[in-house]
Amino acid sequence: MTTLFDKFSAVMDERQALTGAATDPTNVVVDKMVSATEGVIAGRATILAGTNNYLGLTFEPSCVAAGQHALANEGTGTTGSRMANGNYHSHKALERELAEFYDLPHAMVFSTGYGANLGILTALLQPGDCVLLDADAHASLYDGCKMSGADIYRFKHNDPDSLEARLRRLGDRATRTLIVVEGLYSIIGDCAPLQKFAEIKRRYGAYLLIDEAHSLGIYGDNGRGLVEAQGITEEADFIVGTFSKSLGSTGGFCVSQHEILSLMRYTSRPFIFTASACPSVIATTRAALQVMRDRTELRTQLWKNAHQLYAGLQGLGLSTGPEVSPVVGVRCADQEQAINAWHRLLAAGVYTNLIVPPASPDGSSLLRCSMSAAHTSAQVDAIIAAFEAVLVTN
Amino acid sequence: MSVETTGIEKVLISILRDFLESDHVLSGETNLVSDLNLASVQVMEFVVEVEDHFDIAIDLESLSNIHTLSELAEAVRQSR
Repeated sequence: MTTLFDKFSAVMDERQALTGAATDPTNVVVDKMVSATEGVIAGRATILAGTNNYLGLTFEPSCVAAGQHALANEGTGTTGSRMANGNYHSHKALERELAEFYDLPHAMVFSTGYGANLGILTALLQPGDCVLLDADAHASLYDGCKMSGADIYRFKHNDPDSLEARLRRLGDRATRTLIVVEGLYSIIGDCAPLQKFAEIKRRYGAYLLIDEAHSLGIYGDNGRGLVEAQGITEEADFIVGTFSKSLGSTGGFCVSQHEILSLMRYTSRPFIFTASACPSVIATTRAALQVMRDRTELRTQLWKNAHQLYAGLQGLGLSTGPEVSPVVGVRCADQEQAINAWHRLLAAGVYTNLIVPPASPDGSSLLRCSMSAAHTSAQVDAIIAAFEAVLVTN
Repeated sequence: MSVETTGIEKVLISILRDFLESDHVLSGETNLVSDLNLASVQVMEFVVEVEDHFDIAIDLESLSNIHTLSELAEAVRQSR
């Protein structure tokens, strides 16, 4: 006789494989944050090399002060949805500022990045519509597409020919099709050929949604992301992003050239039935957005660090992604080596992200690093040295 | 099973060989996951190759109900 809980036996086996050693890679506890790039884990000072804190703004004084001011003046939470009592002046101000930042007419703020993808996709799509989804797209994109009831077709990762072949096969349905991709992919650190995707969508009359969660603040002269760097901001129908990476807080957003976005406030269930973001979170996000716009040197420093890490790891002969980016995924021979190396890196005072199947994009096992503008050159050297000790001179 | 589906099965087996490390005995009743121990990523890559070969598109919801090669062959036949 089967029971409701039987499905968890496979999960228990997976957990057992991960938790054989002292620290569970999926449940690391940071006992104390020292700075944007350093914490204390298991009593040890640890360089944080897997945080997505790309611009290092989590301790930025102006952001902290803005959050404290909002806490004191607007309270700890909104206790309601944007559609009800949780729609403060600051939420609307952030939406205006995001629209102005992208030079697009419409913006919508969500309580999480995951919620932004769910909210937009479920509002935009319905049964009978089609989605062409990059094979490596984030779980939130897949979940949103699946929840919508639209027909989902996957195409080869970052492959315009694979995309076009499927769009062509859809025939008349192409004009009811949403192409869903990311800008910078968060595991390997590779970028999408957005110009080619935009050209294809234009030719077939389809629509394009780009998740720039890991690209915001990193690419483009103004930090608007890969859409800016590749010159397709106005061709993207929907740009989705998060506040929980470069902007150092939590939350998500969508900006668009289409008036239709403003109607989604009435139809997007993940938007309507979620409490709005805390005022302090909105305040730190607004402050961080301003810092990101004003201090372009942060982006310069981030890229300097990214080049240093990428060159260092490549110099060790390690298998990294195809291009330099603030995300560097180091491929391991197998899951066992990855888990072992992850533990040894942590013991050496370097925290990375362990990525193993099914979370990895191509079934491989990786150690993922993300650089921050706040990393010092000495910290980057220490990360490289730790990789050398663990994976090279092993 | 139609003659057409049988022919499709043969093509599927040929494509599938490239995804397998060892010589499995393959037939229409072969279960892609439980018999071949293919990871979900590998199954998806296999299906993409199948789609390109037959110039068709199979949506993920339909795929979720496909377990064996003969079921996939029938889905291919219906999509053509």
